[in-house]
This record gives sequence, C-alpha cells and structure tokens, in this order.
Amino acid sequence: MIESSIFGVYEERNGKRRELYTKNLVPGMKVYAEKLVSKGQDEFRQWDPRKSKLAAAILKGSPNIGIRKNDIVLYLGCSTGTTVSHVSDLVGAEGFVFGLDSSPRVLRDFIFLCEKRKNITALLEDANKPLDYVDKVCQVDILYQDIAQRNQPEIFLKNVDIFLKKGGYALFAVKSRSIDVTKNPKVIFQQVRSEIEKKLTIIDYRTLDPFELDHCMFICKK
Amino acid sequence: MANYIFSNIAGNFVIDSGNRIIDKSSDAVALRAKYKAVEHADAKIVLSLFRGKEYLSAFREKNLAISKEKIRLSVNQDNLISQSMNAMQEMEKVSNLLSKRLREWYSLYNPEFSESISSNSKFSELVSAKSREELLKEIGAKNTMGADLGKTDLDAINVLASAIVRINATKESTREYAENIMKSYCPNLLGVAGVSLSARLIEHTGSLKKLAFIPSSTIQLLGAEKALFRHMRTGSRPPRHGFISEHQSICSAPQKERGKLARQLAARISKAVKIDYFRGKHD
Ligand SMILES: C[S@@+](CC[C@H](N)C(=O)[O-])C[C@H]1O[C@@H](n2cnc3c(N)ncnc32)[C@H](O)[C@@H]1O
Repeated sequence: MIESSIFGVYEERNGKRRELYTKNLVPGMKVYAEKLVSKGQDEFRQWDPRKSKLAAAILKGSPNIGIRKNDIVLYLGCSTGTTVSHVSDLVGAEGFVFGLDSSPRVLRDFIFLCEKRKNITALLEDANKPLDYVDKVCQVDILYQDIAQRNQPEIFLKNVDIFLKKGGYALFAVKSRSIDVTKNPKVIFQQVRSEIEKKLTIIDYRTLDPFELDHCMFICKK
Repeated sequence: MANYIFSNIAGNFVIDSGNRIIDKSSDAVALRAKYKAVEHADAKIVLSLFRGKEYLSAFREKNLAISKEKIRLSVNQDNLISQSMNAMQEMEKVSNLLSKRLREWYSLYNPEFSESISSNSKFSELVSAKSREELLKEIGAKNTMGADLGKTDLDAINVLASAIVRINATKESTREYAENIMKSYCPNLLGVAGVSLSARLIEHTGSLKKLAFIPSSTIQLLGAEKALFRHMRTGSRPPRHGFISEHQSICSAPQKERGKLARQLAARISKAVKIDYFRGKHD
C-alpha cells in the first residue's frame, strides 16, 4: 500500500491493475461490498471505480481532485452514499460533507450511513432549488455534483455561485445520455465545457470509460 | 451602520456591516426588537460565517431530524401501489419457478397426472389435496410408471405443494388490496387499464402525478425505453408499444392493428389519469 500523489488516496498494484483505497474513518465498517485491508494500525477501504465516478476519474489520470483534510463539501446527488463515504474518509473527522438528494428512497439508506459517520449529514432537497436549502448549509470548500438531469450544467453553476467559496473546487460528473440521448457524448461534453467555462476555470477533464460509458468528469476551480 | 439579520436551522443571527456575527437567539422576534430596523442579509455573503464546529454539529443534527421527518411524510398511495405491484410480480415468478420444481418432483411418483394438466395453479392445488389413486382416476389412467414413495417422501412433496397454493392465494389477495386502493385513488385509470397495467404504469413512473404530466405518446411507449433509445441513436425500427401491450385489447388484436390500438389506449389512459389526478387536487 503506497500513498498516491492525490491527498488521502492510497494505491496498490494487483498484477496490472491499480487498486485505490481510502483510510477507513470508521474501522471495521463496510459501506457497500468493498474490500477492507488492514496495514499496521490503519484500515483501508477499497474504492471501486465501477461504483464511484470519482475513483474512475482518478484511475483515468486526474492529477488533483482538490479535496483535502478538514474540507467542507456539498455533495449534490449523494444517492446511498457510495462516493460520499470515501469523501468522508478523505476530509476526516474534522471535515464535513453535506449530502443532498431528492429521492426519499435513497436518502433513507444514506441516513443510516450518516448515523455511523459523524462527519456527514443528509438533506432531502431538489438541487434545482438552492434557495430551499440556503438555510441548511454553510459555504463550502468543495462542490460535487452527480445528478442525472437534463439541465445539470445550469444546476451546477447555480449551486457553485451560492455555496462554493472563491478558490474552492467544483467537481462535476456529467452523464451525456441524460442531457440528450441522440447526440454524440463528445459533442455534449464540449457544450457543457463552454457553458461552465464562463464561470469557472477547468483544470481537468476526463472521460470515464470503461468504468462508466458516456460519462465525464470536470474538475474546476472558482 | 446597518445590522443584518439571517436565519437558518442553526438559529437567528445579527450580522454587522463588517460581516461579523454580533448576536444570536432562537427567538427571532426578540432579536428584531432588540436591534430595531435590521435588514435581511445576502445569503451568499454570510454563508461563510457558519463554517465553525458548533454550526456544523447543529447542521448535522437538525438536517438529520428534518430529513427523517420528510421521509416519514413522503410515504403515499403511490408507494403502496408500487410495492404491491412488485410483490405481485415477484410472487408470480416464484410461483412459476416452484411449480416447475414441484412438477419434476411429483413426477417421480405420478408422471401421468403431471403430463395431463397444464395449469400450474390447478396442479399444485390438486397435488396438495388428493391422493395418487384419485388423481389417476380423474384422468382415466389405470396405472402409473411412477415409483412407490413412502409417507415421509410424499409429505415433503406436499409441503411444497401447499406452499405454492398459499403463494398463489397471497398474490390474489395482494391484487385485491391494490385494486381497492386504486378504486378510490385512480378509479378512471383503473377502469380503462385494469389493476395490473395501472399499477405497473404508476410503479414505472413513480407516481400518479408524474403520469398525469406525461404526454399520451410517451405513455404508449413506457416500458419500451430500451428499444426507443436504440431507435433514436441508430435509426432502428421504433417500438409501437410498451407495457400497454399487456392490455387485453392489444394482446388479443392482430399484429397490424396493434399500433393504432396502442395509440388509442394510450390516449384513453392519459385522459383518465388526468381526471384522477386533478380531481384529487380539487377535493
Ligand atoms: C447517479 S446517482 C449518484 C451516485 C453517487 N454520486 C455515487 O457515486 O455514489 C444520481 C442521484 O441524483 C439524484 N437526483 C436526481 N435529480 C436530482 C435533483 N434535482 N436534486 C437532487 N438530487 C437529484 C438521484 O436521486 C440519484 O440518487
């Protein structure tokens, strides 16, 4: 197990494959069906790039995802918390993650995760309506968005504008099929790029295949 | 110098023009009285004041409580219809799977009877209720190539047969349950589409409300999304119907009329759903 060049992310070679890990904030506790590995005092949770787009982006070569120890994160589209759990590991006990999702069904599972991890909380809200939760969060260092909506770039910029601090990082997972199934994903990613470039500096862009088809990740700075 | 007031789930705060919190209280009215004409703060500017530990822990506890309450209140008729719909489908699958097994198992003992009856539900009912002699007589067979199994062997087969009978009965009562909900929740849809198609449409879209805002041309294709997207991407033949093809009026019609019938049924469903949904809104 070696420390990778990305803060808080560990790596191990398994034959030709690179495996990613984060240090488990709650040792002994699995979140999904991930592998746990103990090394000395520490326990590591394997980070599956097929279940988490952020892990996919790292394996596709993103040199910097912006997330540091003690950061405060607003995560739009947290679902049951697969990726959030690793972000929670990265920011550590003094950091914090606001997980937001509009589906009661997935948030119900996410709440059980929050009960086990003291550095996360759950909001049942529509990311399209930031004014509905402006009284439930604070300014954040990192904004992460992964929601399958036609107007996802617009939602992203709205939230960046209100909640992300100047100099903070904005991570944006885009699913081309939920914007337009008929168009070539590359064309859609290009449109999204020119839309978000007006407000943010894009510091990295990765397509996520073969882990996720027709998806990409933008890593931006405000 | 103007002071600003800002309220969030952690409390009510007075913020001075230098963007510092100068007072807070759970009582907003008292704060307003104390600071006289306070103005509302611009959220974008003051959000940076709430990054401290004490606020984060308030945000955590309050948001968890609020979200739990919202989840509790989110449960509705659509959820109950969807769950019963899925339960019916799963019981159907399980029942078919176990019935096949029962046939194989029972055929060691009485293959002639298994061979003579095609209905799975009748088969398990009869096997659990009657003896081999009675069943052979019913089909007019004199003897059997089945082995003579002992009482413990037959008991084991019978336990499975009765379990299948019970699953079938449960499926039927679940169906009645769903039908009863829909009789008051969406009687027009129920009248046009029947229990299982109505439930499937609600389950697939998530709610009667969403269904009410979907155009009839889309309703026609719900359940055929894969074929539809393939058509849009590659220009393959477009699908003519999705779930609604299970409706009596379509599955019993000749191939070449199905497209037209599907369109008409979708239009009737769409109208019925709108009546049901908006009627519920005005009551
Ligand atoms: C692909 S999942 C996210 C998976 C998650 N990022 C992970 O890696 O573990 C997308 C989520 O976005 C949520 N979603 C869709 N539209 C939304 C909206 N308008 N506001 C908030 N959440 C939304 C869905 O309920 C779903 O849970």
